[in-house]
Amino acid sequence: MKKINILLIAIFSMLLSLNVMAQEKSISGTITSASDGAPLPGVSVVVQGTTRGAETDFDGNYTIEASQGEVLVYSFVGMKTQTVTVGSSSTISLALEEDANTLDEVVVTALGIKKTRKSLTYAAQDIKADELSRVKQTNPVNSLSGKVAGVNITRSASGAGGSVKVVLRGNSSIGNNQPLYVVDGIPLSNPTAGQPTSTFGSLNGGNRDGGDALSLINSDDIESLTVLKGASASALYGSAGLNGVILITTKKGKSGGFKVDYSSNLTVENAAYMMEFNDEAQKNIDSFLTSGTTSINTLSISGGTETAQTYFSYGNTTASGILPQNKLKQHTINIRETGKFFDGKVKMNASVMASTQKIKNRAVSGLYFNPLVGVYGFESAGESLADYTNFEELDPTRNIMSQRWFRGTSDIEQNPYWITYRNPSEDTNKKLLASLKFDFKINDWLSLQTRGTYDQSLLDYDRKIYATTEATLAPSTGRYIVENADYTQLYGDMLANINTQINESTSITGIVGVSTTGSTLETFRGDSGANGGLQFANVFSFQNFNANPSVAFEQNSYETKVNSLFASSTIDFGGKIYVDLTARNDWTSTLPAANNSFFYPSVGVTGILNELFEFGEKVSFAKLRASYAEVGNGFGPDKISPNRSILFGGGVNSTDPIRPYPGTTPRPERQKSFEIGTEWKFNNNRFGIDIGYYHTNTTDQYFAVPVSTTIVASGVAGLNAGDILNSGIEATVFVVPVQNEDMKWTSTLNFATNKNEIISISGDNVDGLVPTEYFVMSPKGVNTFGSYLVEGGSFGDIYAQVIKKDANGLPIYDSGAFVAEDANLIDGLTKVGNANPDFTLGWNNSFVYKNLSLDFLIDGKFGGETMSMTEAIVEGFSNNSARETANGNVTVVDLSGNTSTQTAQEYYGAIGGRNGYTGEFMYSATNVRLAELAIGYNFNLPENSFFTRIKASAVGNNLFFFYKDAPHDPNISLSTGNALQGVDVLGLPSSRSLGLNINLSF
Amino acid sequence: MKKIFKIIMCLTVVGLVGISCDNNLEDYNTNPRNISQAQLEVDFQHVGSKYKPIFESIYQYTPAWSYQLQQNLNADVYAGYMTNPRPFVAGANNTTYALVSGWNNFIWSVPYGNVMNNVKSIVDQTDDYPTLRAVALILKVEAMHRVSDVFGPIVYSNFGDLTNAGVYDSQQEAYNAFFADLDTATASLMADIDSQRFTAFDMSYGGDYHKWVRFANSLRLRLAIRVSKIDPAKAKTEGEKALAQSEGLMMANDDGFFVNGTLAHPLSVIDNSWGDIRMNASMESILTGFSDTRIQNLFNESPQYPGQYKGVRGGLPLQAGYSDELAQKAAYVNFSNMNDDVKTSKVQLMTAAEVHFLQAEAALRGWAGAGDAQTHYEMGITTSFDQRGASGAAAYIADNTSTPADYVDPVNAANSMSAMSTITIAWDAADDNETKLEKIITQKWIAMFPEGQEAWSEYRRTGYPKIFPVVSNQSGGTIDTNIQIRRIPFVDSELSTNAAGVADAVTKLGGTDDGGTRLWWDTGGPNF
Repeated sequence: MKKINILLIAIFSMLLSLNVMAQEKSISGTITSASDGAPLPGVSVVVQGTTRGAETDFDGNYTIEASQGEVLVYSFVGMKTQTVTVGSSSTISLALEEDANTLDEVVVTALGIKKTRKSLTYAAQDIKADELSRVKQTNPVNSLSGKVAGVNITRSASGAGGSVKVVLRGNSSIGNNQPLYVVDGIPLSNPTAGQPTSTFGSLNGGNRDGGDALSLINSDDIESLTVLKGASASALYGSAGLNGVILITTKKGKSGGFKVDYSSNLTVENAAYMMEFNDEAQKNIDSFLTSGTTSINTLSISGGTETAQTYFSYGNTTASGILPQNKLKQHTINIRETGKFFDGKVKMNASVMASTQKIKNRAVSGLYFNPLVGVYGFESAGESLADYTNFEELDPTRNIMSQRWFRGTSDIEQNPYWITYRNPSEDTNKKLLASLKFDFKINDWLSLQTRGTYDQSLLDYDRKIYATTEATLAPSTGRYIVENADYTQLYGDMLANINTQINESTSITGIVGVSTTGSTLETFRGDSGANGGLQFANVFSFQNFNANPSVAFEQNSYETKVNSLFASSTIDFGGKIYVDLTARNDWTSTLPAANNSFFYPSVGVTGILNELFEFGEKVSFAKLRASYAEVGNGFGPDKISPNRSILFGGGVNSTDPIRPYPGTTPRPERQKSFEIGTEWKFNNNRFGIDIGYYHTNTTDQYFAVPVSTTIVASGVAGLNAGDILNSGIEATVFVVPVQNEDMKWTSTLNFATNKNEIISISGDNVDGLVPTEYFVMSPKGVNTFGSYLVEGGSFGDIYAQVIKKDANGLPIYDSGAFVAEDANLIDGLTKVGNANPDFTLGWNNSFVYKNLSLDFLIDGKFGGETMSMTEAIVEGFSNNSARETANGNVTVVDLSGNTSTQTAQEYYGAIGGRNGYTGEFMYSATNVRLAELAIGYNFNLPENSFFTRIKASAVGNNLFFFYKDAPHDPNISLSTGNALQGVDVLGLPSSRSLGLNINLSF
Repeated sequence: MKKIFKIIMCLTVVGLVGISCDNNLEDYNTNPRNISQAQLEVDFQHVGSKYKPIFESIYQYTPAWSYQLQQNLNADVYAGYMTNPRPFVAGANNTTYALVSGWNNFIWSVPYGNVMNNVKSIVDQTDDYPTLRAVALILKVEAMHRVSDVFGPIVYSNFGDLTNAGVYDSQQEAYNAFFADLDTATASLMADIDSQRFTAFDMSYGGDYHKWVRFANSLRLRLAIRVSKIDPAKAKTEGEKALAQSEGLMMANDDGFFVNGTLAHPLSVIDNSWGDIRMNASMESILTGFSDTRIQNLFNESPQYPGQYKGVRGGLPLQAGYSDELAQKAAYVNFSNMNDDVKTSKVQLMTAAEVHFLQAEAALRGWAGAGDAQTHYEMGITTSFDQRGASGAAAYIADNTSTPADYVDPVNAANSMSAMSTITIAWDAADDNETKLEKIITQKWIAMFPEGQEAWSEYRRTGYPKIFPVVSNQSGGTIDTNIQIRRIPFVDSELSTNAAGVADAVTKLGGTDDGGTRLWWDTGGPNF
């Protein structure tokens, strides 16, 4: 450290000429907020009676020239103004007290720039650490549900360590709708090694969730999360911020003494929400499913001196799922060093986060490799599923242990214990995130900052499929599948921060910067295949692969480079009006040279109404904000001039990959958004409301449009097309009904509604191209579930096969068969609903009474539909469902109007199955649940106690539904990508968890 | 330490400058694991690598279900060769004339996506290699006449052309273009007939251009015979051109056009692994009626009816008494399946035996150079017996009494049916041309097995052999049960992406776009 210090001094005394006045001395210090100790940027420091002034930077630091005896005035909107007479010391640090009238929080915005909340020209909402980790989840982002207006969270149906789908302000992209995650100002690469796309499942190991990098972050390391919802907020992050940004601020060491925190969390999960089975079937299901446990432990040590601070944490998670042999183990280490040198003129921040995760038998959905098919479908007279825990027996003809099951196995149905023990899978994921940041304060108004990150995610997958697994899935000797993906991202930027005080009331802060992002993806896949096979049974290694063209060995490498130049400025008119301007130009490697440079601006205005007008005592704060932003996007790599692939042992691929439509030059995708909002606080901040409206058009997306095979032989070509509109309202209301010395009750309600309209899906008029009528999001496949983008429709529309009904709504059954609906068809399917809710409500309550606290969250999603293909399949293949066993009657009608009755067993058996009348298995997705409940107690500790804090709490997650129509939990999705929204196909049942949290500090 | 810091500073500065100087961003954009044009040019693979997908997609090897939809569940069944024991879609499928558009897309997309594009790529890059271009043209004609024989008008001369995007040729225009392409190909090959340039890429003839010319001539004769009723003058010109060409026709079995693929025959998967295809009742009727010894090379005895070859009627609905498709499949799956001899990795597309039968018909039509009809008829039979390794050809040729047998469905007597014809085997010079043609086409039909596409086309052109009609006709009146299906409607993917092209094609078809409309060469009139 010392060496670096000396080095820095040496270099900087050469590089920078520091202006030091002779008579006056330089006073510096840090201004923080008295309430939470957070540094305050933008605090005005003026030498009384002079025009000399300065403003604190984003870390609350300032430097001003003043002589002894002069008086410094520190003022900041929302804080009480303080004055200090300059004495002999050259350091003056202050903690400003809140002015009773307003509350000004500091929020972290794009590129790590801190701003006062009130100056923001767009919607931002944040969540503090305690709220986030109160009821801990293995993927920290899951804890956002219901806590932020306009954030729609869907969990993957793959159990612990699963990925999560976050949609801010509606879906707009045919590619990726997930927001950008930014850790301490630097974009995080959050890849997934794949998501299910087929209701049927994948023959290559089942419908698997490839996981995501977020699940590799320890929620205990997070200080706060800030959600920047619109493009305005994210214009500075460029394309990646198109879908909004979630800023993660991690903990760092604080000066003064070492502090140790230990938290331990143990929860028990049980399958809670699944379709209704008859008693016998339910017994079998209960015998198979187990209680899951999750234990999350974190130890963190932090501390330091004025000049150097350290934060270190180690966390581990051990979980076992509700499926037997489903296990997760995760370790996370986080080290962060912060330091100031050179009287605070140079600051350094270095951090390394390393994480490793192993998941055995991660749950799959769909019909292939899914033990639940056999569990739900088991029906054998006089036997129970437990009779098949012994899943193999000797086959003397081959001298091999072969699968045993109560009937012949099929591609979709095998002994669930066989799948568990003889088709085992293992996911191994690792993440390394290392970053280094330097700040150089050059003078009062200028500072430079440079940062770099190395971000690597390794996502590996392995499945061993033993001999005598069903023949469609594996040849007689078994099968071995290995997949590796290495995502590496290098990011670097350099910013110049400029603060100028134009006169006493007007100041401009500006940023000019450049950044470069390079990402690479290296993939490998080795699969002995469903036909290729292994030479010797049950030896799982590449050298045991048959030399056969049905074997797959495949490598791919993708590289993307984006260079950017950007500028941002905020003009502060006396703390009354703020004007924000941003501009960015990207140069991307993914577009053709002619179109690879694109520019986009944003503008925003905020007026602090209570400063501009007189509202009287009741109004503590009022603001009006409006902004407009454009964002360009260069989409993914290798789409402009991809080469033909080579097939292992099979020459070149016979068809060209998807290329741009002949004669066209792809251009960047565009998003234009406008938002307006207002925020009011009343009665000394006891009650407040924030309401906003947004309107976002996403145009020129790079679609793979169907083209006549006589023009482009592969039948698809890339073309910029479409216009998708999302508009909606978000509102947050908070109230503090009770606040006194002993008790405080805070209640927050988050409301959001989004309307998605597909204005158009066609692109430019080009020779020979017939405008597309619809764009496929989930292909119909065998299972008669489809999702399409159609002009006039919306994202997430669900299409299904529906039985025609007569005027009374009775299903039409004629000449021994049901009659299919034939109106408004796409691919033979009728639109039956939409997977997205009409509106969401989250009601968060926190009670503190002396040492006792109670928190609960009620999360509601209203509107939207969901399909239970699980029910269709179970009823088509077995008589295990409760309503079939109850054997009520269903009235049907023939084409001449004669009614007849069918037993429930006949009716559901006939319309179910894997390609049944899926439209008859639709449910409202509306649900209201008690999502989180936590009761905590803070122990009173004696003065001389070793501990500084002991807190224990009992927590519950996903406790029960106040209302739910669907047989499954509609908050769970088979895919966290774009496909398979609003359908459950034998997904892992959602569980309820109960547990204990202990937090110790010393 | 000082150095390290300097390096960091320099890198930052260079990084910043680099951003503005980086003009070759595009270079990052391509996946280097795939093969670039420059890499393909080594060993002439930019042309050479494109043949394999063509060879393997005229009759697509893999995935097997792709061939199943491309040909097996249409032409192979319509030709009376095979039948599916499982009544897919509850019996409402192609075979019962409830045409499944999702399936039939493959008849179109397989050749366009794998043959036409690769031929175009070869043609675009072979200005300096005319013989390589010639082979591609022959393969194109072979692949695309099969497509035209299914739909009628096709996009052939305007393929990939943006100014005439998606404009169909009428079937006559397409056939004229086939003949013209064969002219070009033959001339190019004849100019450099001993070149070995194609050897490395040839999956049929080991690079022997003599055999390629023989195949081109034989293909020309096939196409000439096909248009002999609708355009006799053109047919005669082209037919005689084929008969007179100096390299001759494919006469010996090793001249036959087979693709020696590297993958399993798709029939082996469809038949053995899935049990989705079985012998057709018409095959049983004719082969057993004729006591044809080739039956043991083409089919296996039924495991359910030992000692018998048992076929299934085409166009079975989901019959009464079966709860579902699988239950009915269980009743028929143990009828006769295909012998392994027809499921080797060699895919048969044109045999010497067929060419003898083509010459026999050419002789009946009085084309110069055709030779004697009886000689070619009998040589056709012997060549086929030789190809199959069957014995007793001489006695078979002399058999003037055996006729097709009545068919009995042991599972459902309602499907049993009397033989459709009383045709015999032995040639009789006294027969009229119509009887002679029935004999020729019936024997050609046996010899061409399992290539159902050509067999179905010849059935439609001549009405022979007389095969059983479908049990259930669910065409809604568009297809006559006894006239049988004449074509497949234009495909959905074309209707949605090239509606104007299809509308024009329907005009060129000259009838409604359904399965009952006859193609251009399918006159419906007398054969002579």
